[in-house]
Amino acid sequence: MRRSLRELNMATAAEKSTKQRLLSVLDDLEVLSRELIEMLALSRGQKLPTPGEDTQVLELLVQRDKEFQELMGVARQQGKVHHEMQLLEKEVEKRDSDIQQLQKQLKEAEHILATAVYQAKEKLKSIDKARKGSISSEEIIKYAHRISASNAVCAPLNWVPGDPRRPYPTDLEMRSGMLGHMANLPTNGVNGHLPGDALAAGRLPDILTPHYPWQSSDVSVGMLPPHHGNDFGLEPPGHNKENEDDVEAMSTDSSSSSSDSD
Amino acid sequence: MMAVAQPKIEKETDDCSLLPLVHDIIKCMDKDSQDVHQELAKLKTKIQEAREQISNMPGIESSPQEQQQQLATLREQVSTKNQLLQKYKGLCMFDVPKAS
Repeated sequence: MRRSLRELNMATAAEKSTKQRLLSVLDDLEVLSRELIEMLALSRGQKLPTPGEDTQVLELLVQRDKEFQELMGVARQQGKVHHEMQLLEKEVEKRDSDIQQLQKQLKEAEHILATAVYQAKEKLKSIDKARKGSISSEEIIKYAHRISASNAVCAPLNWVPGDPRRPYPTDLEMRSGMLGHMANLPTNGVNGHLPGDALAAGRLPDILTPHYPWQSSDVSVGMLPPHHGNDFGLEPPGHNKENEDDVEAMSTDSSSSSSDSD
Repeated sequence: MMAVAQPKIEKETDDCSLLPLVHDIIKCMDKDSQDVHQELAKLKTKIQEAREQISNMPGIESSPQEQQQQLATLREQVSTKNQLLQKYKGLCMFDVPKAS
């Protein structure tokens, strides 16, 4: 029982801060010194103090004073440790700041790398897609030449203002074609034609006969314009060799490049 | 060094002792001197100064054992953070291929 109480007191004393213990001891010193002085003052008077009591008080006073001095030494030591702890806390703060800065840089690098990887993957997909749908460059060039050959992208070299030629089928050409003839049929009354219009009869005046590069030189006047259906095909049936020559001639013409922009 | 430090420590501990003042008071009482009151005032002042000094002393809000634990924790924190920083700074995650 006595041992457990003693241990409890020690534990309680250990849990108390040094400050609390110092103040407690100082209070005891004050009380004991006052008591001692009062006892000595009384002993000079008529009343005599209890024998041995002043000795007991004196011993307690000396003991408390010694304890006070030891505690003051501990307090000074704790002050030095506290100073060291403050330095360590500053260092911890600095390390925290460095870690945060490094973390921020790593996050930024991760973002940049993730973006680069994503873009690279997209490019690889595009490359793969292009490879799957690859077309021979020869065919593309041929196709481009055929488009250019119809003077749809650039006027002919000898074109002057007043020339009826256009890069699109004109009204006359449309009427002289299959669609125009279909309009002449009795059952088809939707697309009528102008009365007295020579074009309705399928005849074109000589001057209005369009001259296309793909037309052969022996095309007579009045003949219907050629069917344009297969002109833009890569491998048209009955392909005219002259067209190829014109295409090749066109291909050499720098003015027929589609890069011209107005 | 120790010989020089020791007298200093002894002087510091003697400074906070109240026994010399109590002794002076008892001497004055024995001599029936009029300085008793003065000595009593000195004792009272010294106790008050000791209280103020204790209030202003840093680092005594905890016991020495608790303070040592806090110190060990702080040292461990500093060491861990230093190691972490060294690890990240010395880390090379990418092998740069040689230019062919």
